[in-house]
Amino acid sequence: MSVVPATNLNRRRLLQLAALLGGTATLAACGGPAVGGSGETAQAGATDWAGITPAKEITWWSNHPGASKAVEEELIKRFQAAEGIKVNLVTAGANYDEVAQKFQAASGANNIPDLVIASDVWWFRYMINGQILPLDGLAKHLEFNTDDFNKTLFDDYNFSGNHWAVPYARSTPLFYYNKKVWQAAGLPDRAPKSWDEFDQWAPKIAASAGVVPLGLGKGTSWAAWWFCNILWGRGGAYSKDWTMTLDTPEAIEAAKYVQKLIFEDKTAAVTAKDQVADFGAGLTGCTLASTGSLSGILKAAQFEVGTGFLPEGPKGQACPTGGTGLAIPAKKSPEQQLAAAKFLKFLTNTENTAYFSSNTGYMPVRTSARDGATMAQVYAKTPQFRTAVDQLQTTRVQDWGRVFVPGGDKELTTALEKIMLQQADPSSSFATASSAIEKSFEQNVKSYL
Amino acid sequence: MSTMVENRRQMGITAPPPPLRRRRRWPWKSWLLFLLFAGPNVALLIVFTYKPLLQSLYYSTLQWNIGSATARQVGLGNYIDWFTDPTTAHVVMVTVVFTIATVGGGMVLGLALAVLLNRRLRGRGAARTVVVAPYVLSGVAVGLLWLFVFDPNFGICAALLRAVGLASPDWYNDPQWALLMVIVVYLWKNVGYVALVYLAALQTVPADLLEAAALDGATPFHAFRRIVLPLLGPTTFFLAVTTLLSSLQSFDIIQAMTQGGPLEGTTTMMYQIYQEGFQTGRAGYSSAVATILFVVLLLVTFVQMKYVEKRVHY
Repeated sequence: MSVVPATNLNRRRLLQLAALLGGTATLAACGGPAVGGSGETAQAGATDWAGITPAKEITWWSNHPGASKAVEEELIKRFQAAEGIKVNLVTAGANYDEVAQKFQAASGANNIPDLVIASDVWWFRYMINGQILPLDGLAKHLEFNTDDFNKTLFDDYNFSGNHWAVPYARSTPLFYYNKKVWQAAGLPDRAPKSWDEFDQWAPKIAASAGVVPLGLGKGTSWAAWWFCNILWGRGGAYSKDWTMTLDTPEAIEAAKYVQKLIFEDKTAAVTAKDQVADFGAGLTGCTLASTGSLSGILKAAQFEVGTGFLPEGPKGQACPTGGTGLAIPAKKSPEQQLAAAKFLKFLTNTENTAYFSSNTGYMPVRTSARDGATMAQVYAKTPQFRTAVDQLQTTRVQDWGRVFVPGGDKELTTALEKIMLQQADPSSSFATASSAIEKSFEQNVKSYL
Repeated sequence: MSTMVENRRQMGITAPPPPLRRRRRWPWKSWLLFLLFAGPNVALLIVFTYKPLLQSLYYSTLQWNIGSATARQVGLGNYIDWFTDPTTAHVVMVTVVFTIATVGGGMVLGLALAVLLNRRLRGRGAARTVVVAPYVLSGVAVGLLWLFVFDPNFGICAALLRAVGLASPDWYNDPQWALLMVIVVYLWKNVGYVALVYLAALQTVPADLLEAAALDGATPFHAFRRIVLPLLGPTTFFLAVTTLLSSLQSFDIIQAMTQGGPLEGTTTMMYQIYQEGFQTGRAGYSSAVATILFVVLLLVTFVQMKYVEKRVHY
């Protein structure tokens, strides 16, 4: 007995097979990208918005950052009451990456939303792919006050003279410490001002509290984010514009400093799964985590939590921004785009920004919201939140090599994990990552710019 | 007869020429039936299997950012990139180790369980259910559940090891331990399938053969080795093909537990296809890896069909 049925491949069968394959190949050639193009970034100013009537219904893809589904639903309810435009809120993923993956895949089928989450490592790819609309023209038409946005957060989405998204659920890394551990170690009730100061404090923490002083996170979208603090604080950078700069002595020194903490001083450890969970469980004395985790940490921790600015390096304070903005897809009709822009304006006005921030822990992206009455109440009730907001003034736009080049964050994470988990040589680890990122830039970005 | 023909000829009536081809009776009815029964399946196969397969082959020749409406033709560039990439050897090694461990381990454990469950034991029905149950569970759910078991601080595994004075391995930070962890979870989930198929096969082994062997003085081990195992040949062959294919395509457990990390220690070729296509967004490169994996699967199946099947006695 044979599993494969015996077949005689005569001329007729061969022709039939060829016809089948040919037909299927023809089908395969249908759809997909146009070959030979040099990119198609959406152009600003092409639509006369004055003559457009907004659509009556739009769709919004979100991952509800900071467990904000109820908050987003409430904001939609308010918008519908004010403007009469229905908004369908779709849970398009559990995190920014999942929403982005779905958005990328759906773009081929044109089954896309009218408004989409656009995180710090994704919006640029949307832009070079021609998937999102520059918003300056729409903002001008709708008298959408963008001057009031926190400048760093708004300019994160600025490229080639246009803004491609507006800030929404934005965050920064923050220094969290266990006050009980601090007290046991006889330390002042504040975060260390610098990494030098942390080095002096860490042995006391380890000796008195019996915990790992500092828990460090790993994994994509995270390790290369918090490392910005140490890297920039020592005068290094991942890249300058599109040129990788990880071969500088400052960058190497930053990596060696992290290795010293982990392998020599043993005052830091890379946590197994989640540095936030480990900190909340009292396994580490302090950690670096997102400001978006603040509410969760305060709820979960069985001890009093202190927050502070990220420690300074020899070259001063350094803090990256992160989180997500919102973008409008380019391929939707002008009516849909206008309706989405009206919703975007409503969602990020002063009142709603304060409502969103006070309920999630994300940064108030507008200056007027930051200084308003709603947030003042939040600061009074939760002083830790004030630290996070104040730290915004020290932030800077991220290095393009990490956030704009496809695979940039992944390559840097791999390099940092080699450095932190295997004590690999920083020079060679960074060289491998730089080479991969430069290649990715040549292949995936350069021709689209 | 000859007179009749002669008479007709004289009357000017000639016989009709014989048909060149014998006409088929109602061929359109057969076609209609064929289309009715096979048409939907053929259409589904073309739309959801063959078309994407050929499309993927075509995309593998493009430099294409997923989501972009434009791309650049690079011929075999993506294939050359993959074969010359320094991480390729590592990804292939992870794939080979994972496949050998899950297929080999699964077959041995599955057979052992099947032999055990084929005996007349108390609670055999419940035991069979317990063994097979994980197979029908969602891979993501299984992965998330085992994350808690392996947690080096709070997991059951760490607690058991602590009880005997040992420290938990660094399952999530050490690439080797992480690979072992996903292999163990994969085996736990899928060994029930192998056991189930072997169990069904064991129940078809004629009892009189085993009795005759026992009368001739064969030990249970010898009877198993000389009679049962050869009779299980077709089942073993079937399982080797199916488990190998599913192992090479496994994704859910890795995604739920390690996302290919740490340090790409659990990045198999299948996971690399996902990472490159959807995380990095290099759809052309991802399609090239998918095509290479497809060719590998074809070759492995061909080798199994061509050479291994010859050693199987039906």
